[in-house]
Amino acid sequence: MKLAFQIAYKNLIGSGLRTWLNVIVLSFVFVVIIFFNGLIDGWNQQSLQESIKWEYANGYLLNNDYDPNDAFTIADGHGHLPDSDTKNLTPVLIRQATIYPQGRLKSVLLKGIPAGQETIALPTASLDSSHANIPVLIGKRMAETAKLKEGDQVLMRWRDKNGTFDAADVTVHRIFDTSVASMDNGQIWMPVERLWELTGLHGQATLYIADSDFQTENFDGWNFESQDELLQDFRDLIEMKKVSGNFMYIILLFIALIAIFDTQVLSIFRRQKEIGTYVAMGMTRMQVLRLFTVEGAMYSVFGVVLGMAYGIPLFIVLSRMGITLPEFYQDMGVNLPRTIYPVFGVELIVLTVLALIISATLVSLIPARKIARMDPVMALKGKIQ
Amino acid sequence: MKIAIITLLVLGFIHQDPGTDASSIIKKVDDNMISNTQISITKMIIHGRRNSRTVASKNYAEGTEKSYTEYLSPAREEGTKMLKLEDNLWIYSPSTDRTIQLSGHMLRQSVMGSDLSYEDMMEDRKLTEVYNAQKIGQETINGRKTWVLELHAKVDDASYESQKLWIDQERFVPLRQEMYAKSGKLLKRAEASDVKRVDGRWYPMKMNYKDVLKEGKGTDFVITDIQFDVKIPEYIFSKASLKR
Amino acid sequence: MIKFLFKGIIRDSSRSVLPIIIISLGVALTVLLSGYITGMMGDTIDQNARFETGHVKVMTKAYAENKDQVPIDLALLGVDSLVKSLQNEFPDMEWVKRIRFGGLIDVPDEQGETKGQGPASGLAIELLSTKNNEVERLNLKSSLVTGSLPTQRSEAIIGHEFAEKLRISIGDSVTYFGTSMNGSMTFANFVVTGTIRFGIASMDKGAIIVDVWDAQQMLDMEDGAGEILGFLNTGVYDDEKAEKVKNAFNSKHTGNKDEFAPVMLKLRNQNNLDGLLTYVDLASGLFVAIFVFAMSLVLWNTGLIAGLRRYNEFGIRLALGESKGGIYRTLVYEAILIGIIGSFVGTAIGLGLTYYLQVVGIDVSGYMDQANIMMPSTLRAKVTPSLFYIGFIPGLFAMVFGNMLAGIGIYRRETATLFKELEV
Repeated sequence: MKLAFQIAYKNLIGSGLRTWLNVIVLSFVFVVIIFFNGLIDGWNQQSLQESIKWEYANGYLLNNDYDPNDAFTIADGHGHLPDSDTKNLTPVLIRQATIYPQGRLKSVLLKGIPAGQETIALPTASLDSSHANIPVLIGKRMAETAKLKEGDQVLMRWRDKNGTFDAADVTVHRIFDTSVASMDNGQIWMPVERLWELTGLHGQATLYIADSDFQTENFDGWNFESQDELLQDFRDLIEMKKVSGNFMYIILLFIALIAIFDTQVLSIFRRQKEIGTYVAMGMTRMQVLRLFTVEGAMYSVFGVVLGMAYGIPLFIVLSRMGITLPEFYQDMGVNLPRTIYPVFGVELIVLTVLALIISATLVSLIPARKIARMDPVMALKGKIQ
Repeated sequence: MKIAIITLLVLGFIHQDPGTDASSIIKKVDDNMISNTQISITKMIIHGRRNSRTVASKNYAEGTEKSYTEYLSPAREEGTKMLKLEDNLWIYSPSTDRTIQLSGHMLRQSVMGSDLSYEDMMEDRKLTEVYNAQKIGQETINGRKTWVLELHAKVDDASYESQKLWIDQERFVPLRQEMYAKSGKLLKRAEASDVKRVDGRWYPMKMNYKDVLKEGKGTDFVITDIQFDVKIPEYIFSKASLKR
Repeated sequence: MIKFLFKGIIRDSSRSVLPIIIISLGVALTVLLSGYITGMMGDTIDQNARFETGHVKVMTKAYAENKDQVPIDLALLGVDSLVKSLQNEFPDMEWVKRIRFGGLIDVPDEQGETKGQGPASGLAIELLSTKNNEVERLNLKSSLVTGSLPTQRSEAIIGHEFAEKLRISIGDSVTYFGTSMNGSMTFANFVVTGTIRFGIASMDKGAIIVDVWDAQQMLDMEDGAGEILGFLNTGVYDDEKAEKVKNAFNSKHTGNKDEFAPVMLKLRNQNNLDGLLTYVDLASGLFVAIFVFAMSLVLWNTGLIAGLRRYNEFGIRLALGESKGGIYRTLVYEAILIGIIGSFVGTAIGLGLTYYLQVVGIDVSGYMDQANIMMPSTLRAKVTPSLFYIGFIPGLFAMVFGNMLAGIGIYRRETATLFKELEV
């Protein structure tokens, strides 16, 4: 076996240009496979991170009467936790309201959150600097559908805790830009203290957002949903995307295999005399077959080594700097971060190396099997069989 | 000096007549507008963006807590019935032979596309039960002298924190009503006209009701026939009558 | 000349079969992967098109302005004649009526009184018509969790979670209560024939899907529809084509100041999809470019090696007196012929596979632990116009280029040393 490796190595190095052409192609394919997968992994992880950063933090403590999927439960689905319990919790109070941009009527969710919170990335701190009567934050999508700009005032109508109507102009203090559509669409954010005043629901919250120091406890009347539980749907989606990524992975791998297969078929066709000579010198046909298989596989090894030589520095640069995409809008709940930082995991690289070498070996074996059926005399003469 | 005397005289005049202080005015309004029972045939004219529609109905009411409405026209609406008993509202549709109970969120929807919500229609408390009144002036509307009253809710759960009423000084009919949010923002306005004397009461035969935050011409109510204090059989105000 | 070369290629299978196989394979993979990437990247847009925006959408101006409110009172009227004229004018598109509506679904107890109710977001499609692809387009069959699709009027399918919450079973009758186009109260009974899960939270929460005719009756909008969606027959959004259709349609209505005059929007102008579309085009373009480049390298290499391996043959031909230029030209012509044949075969295979993936797709739901998200569990490729030529880049140009490079060696050969080289 060792001999096979030695001869294969010498053969490859010996044939110079042709070997290097193949190796360059294989190395490129290797890099492309890892690049694509790293990009998709990075993209998914980032979307996940964005969701955590903007929306879920470390989990939600939801009032038992509140069901996020049922708008009917908003009116009564709120409660109050004593201050001693809320150390690592950020209250969010949700109310329904109507805004009237340009005389049109639009239903919105009015959400109150402490201006000083740092649990989620919502830029609430800026609300403190506002001198407006009711300063609010809205997202880019909301601003677009309601045709609102920073500094605009819009009439809003809501009800207080007893159902009494109230209405006032709110001032768009800032428009934030997030890839997490569910924090944006149809929502208006304001300081929770102000919302408490406006509705008379002092200290009430529909849900609490947990920060990283939060310890799960049992709160009567509240139900804790951990970050993992909240992200489950999202993870399923990523899982789905992974499967679809695998399909692409296989196609990409095919390019490499075509290159090897092609070379291999040609070598066996061209090198009949050589094969005949090996056999004449006492190698068994199986040994020759092994030699050719090793040669094919060795292409992939060289390809991997060369690919790593320039790929790894490239990957490191890419994962640090990220790939920034041009400005675009996002909608429909897809999270598309603007700058994607590819993630090149060791697992990905090791798996790709293995997949490439194993499949290259298998592909080399297929044309090489012909050797086993060759008549050495004819082969030695170079007669095509 | 002269002004002071006039002011004194006016104040004295108001004080001397116990029938014209604000709370007795709204009491008289309640007495005039709310009867023991009431049967009416009304038309509701809804001005949509595309067209205007007229919906006719026959309405039975007992006090403020029970009411029953049967829609007469147009053909699509015919036979649809609505029953309100205190806080509950049921609607029956003959086409599906179903009775549906409305609650919560749905009550905030507009009735038949009008500027009124179910909730607006279900407000069944007398003005005197909900509001404290204060007289703030006098105005003339369509040639009728009115008191202008400002009403402030004395209960927590009034839909409107305050209202302004223009009350006909002789007939105790509100000719104009404005409903305000807690912040003082005007939300809805109602105007009454064509006041007629029916069974010893003065009653407006036409009303226009408008959500002022919304674009549009509002909703008109026209009473084509009304009777007060007639006996209404008890079964009318039962769920069984919906399917009848 | 070409005929001669062609014969050579056909008769000398060692010169033709392997390269053609390799090129076909490579080209087929290029086409398939490009179609697949476009499909994968565009699935969100595709989903938008299927569920909401169409490739183009006709609404009234007033409806278009308030479309996030689902304003059925502003719906189109006279849609039958409108659809007919659209069909005549743009016969290579499918035009379908859709109505979105909101309301309440009420579940009766034995006495016919309210047992439970919930807010419903309704969608009416041409469910019972056999002349369109709406059922496939919305992926209704495979999204069914229980039961079956409606087969007659007054039947409906509803969201699975919604059904569970209200404890509705198949065969139950539910009542829709809502507002008609004119603002009246309106009621309709539906027999639930199936429950559905799309994986789109907003749809699954309270969806009821009924036939358009039922919705027209119930919403008092005879010959009306909220939206008319147009789909290009290729099934793929083509912005240029959509733009043309849009302009042709809208130019006829430019003078019409009526707020209920129809107006057409293309997919790009709806749901903030402009940016997403640009992004997808860009990203998939980049992916495809990298892939085509990689494949070009491989096939260029194939061409190069194929040229190199004919060293002996060229030597003999030179010895026989053929001119170097002549040999080089035949080499290039042969490469072009092989490239064309391979590219055609490969493109055909690739398109076939892509089309299969577009229509049938690969159902991957079996590979997923939890089927919470149903919607895109079928991987789909997309046949785009570029697929018809993209394979020729690696298959023809790269391959020929490789051969040309290898052929340069011919000019370096010296007749004097030929026989020495050719000694066996």
